[in-house]
Amino acid sequence: MRQRQPGTLTVWQVVELARHPERPYALDYIKRMAPDFVEFHGDRLGADDAALVGGVGTWNGRTTMFLGQQKGRNFPERVRRNFGMMHPEGYRKAVRLAHQAAKFGFPIVCLVDTPGAYPGAGAEERGIAAAIAAAIMEWFRVPVPVVTAIIGEGGSGGALGLAVADRVIMLENSIYSVAMPEAAASIVWRDNSRKVEVAEQLQITSRDLLAMGVVEEVVEEPKGGAHLDYDGAAKALEKALLRHVEPLLRTPPEELLQHRYDRYRYIDSLIRADADFGPKVGNSPA
Amino acid sequence: MLTLTPPWQDVPLAGSPLPEIPLPSNCPGCGVGLDREELSAHVYVCDCGHHFQLRADSWIALLADGDTWNERWADVRPHDLLDWKMPKPYHLTIEQARDEGLNEAVRTGTALLAGRPVWLGVFDFRFVGGTLSIVAGERLARGLEAAASERLPYILVAASGGARMQEGVLALMQMAKANGAVGRLHAAGLPYFCVLTDPTYGGTAASLALLGDVNIAEPEAKIGFTGPRVIKQATYADLPPDFQTADFQLKHGQVDMVVPRVELRPLLVHLVDMYT
Repeated sequence: MRQRQPGTLTVWQVVELARHPERPYALDYIKRMAPDFVEFHGDRLGADDAALVGGVGTWNGRTTMFLGQQKGRNFPERVRRNFGMMHPEGYRKAVRLAHQAAKFGFPIVCLVDTPGAYPGAGAEERGIAAAIAAAIMEWFRVPVPVVTAIIGEGGSGGALGLAVADRVIMLENSIYSVAMPEAAASIVWRDNSRKVEVAEQLQITSRDLLAMGVVEEVVEEPKGGAHLDYDGAAKALEKALLRHVEPLLRTPPEELLQHRYDRYRYIDSLIRADADFGPKVGNSPA
Repeated sequence: MLTLTPPWQDVPLAGSPLPEIPLPSNCPGCGVGLDREELSAHVYVCDCGHHFQLRADSWIALLADGDTWNERWADVRPHDLLDWKMPKPYHLTIEQARDEGLNEAVRTGTALLAGRPVWLGVFDFRFVGGTLSIVAGERLARGLEAAASERLPYILVAASGGARMQEGVLALMQMAKANGAVGRLHAAGLPYFCVLTDPTYGGTAASLALLGDVNIAEPEAKIGFTGPRVIKQATYADLPPDFQTADFQLKHGQVDMVVPRVELRPLLVHLVDMYT
């Protein structure tokens, strides 16, 4: 097992904390940040996805749009929330509410907690790939501040559909990965029991992502993990989100969108790479 | 099926002869023995309708007029940033693919399409499953930005298993990088045509491949987000035989049309003329 420092957690222990059944979920944070939160439903195209909660609340003295992937606390709710795995309707609801926030100038807070988009036949039939693709593209056109926090699992394209933002931060014991370790193991090994080895290889912990320049900040959790102190975790998260949203509220929309574009356009430029590695090479002709 | 009217009917089905590709002795579609030359002249479509998977160089030969392909950023190279060891070191995977003469999962550049200048982005499934990597994302984004500033149409040919695991979360970020650039191309009012070939899955389908003004699928191509093996594992569902085929995606509103390869180039010329 890879140990970064003596006494710190292994990668797999972090994965287990990120998936802890008692871990605070999106609504636990939203209701602490904005006690007057009002939840909205539906994509206006035919369905509502309970794996994504969205609505407005007063936060930091202004109306704010909250979007969060929501897991269930007990078995019936887990099933109803589809274990935080969104269907196409969820991404379309997110885009609808993002545009509504833009209409009224509300800042947007996104909380990511999903193992991935739903891997089912129905999701495919209703265009999950196109729904995620459109959401990712639309986020670049939403001219209000968007801050995203990974609060548990940030799995694959299903997470990215809610994580194109001006700032992305991560709770200490959350993970963010190109695919969940089980899926990655099944892709590269054809054997999902190699999940622990693959998890270590993938570099998915908050510190890894901070080092890669993919997230702006790691928010420390209460001792032992967020599940031991909901209020403490919510306070820490709220403080960090505030610090990131404040300067954005004073940024003109065009500048905001340009910075958001650049954030992803050059997101890989921090890599300590060989001299001939891609993003370090200028616009040289072939 | 689509019927074309002149003058696009006269557009040759390939810009230049297609390079040879490895072929089985018999067609997997109809079992008939294959005539290599005849098949190449017929852009690797069997008389029975079976479409053989093409490589990036084949697609470039098919679409670009002879000698007009101007490849860009071919020197941008992949890098083993996660120091990936298992089950096979990533740098070996890369070196092997390069030894086979492949240059990353995406190649991009400008060309003339029957005399019309266009930008092309072409996936190569043989390079680590055509997976979206940092180099692929970088080439796509630069090409899309260049198309927007040069005011040229962009044609994408997709064939990809999704994001590349060996580059971790930075491979995932390429979806956002590419979609940002696609958004700019759309905002600039320029046409973006996507040709979806077998297979187009995962992070590639969930980013730039399905965002075309016109999405064109090849017959029988498998297109989707999650592959059937994973869906069966996760949900124990029985999947219909046509699940995630081009016709399935047409029926479910994800692609505009399913077009045989022999009609593709004339169609693209027709579309470019109408949209520019």
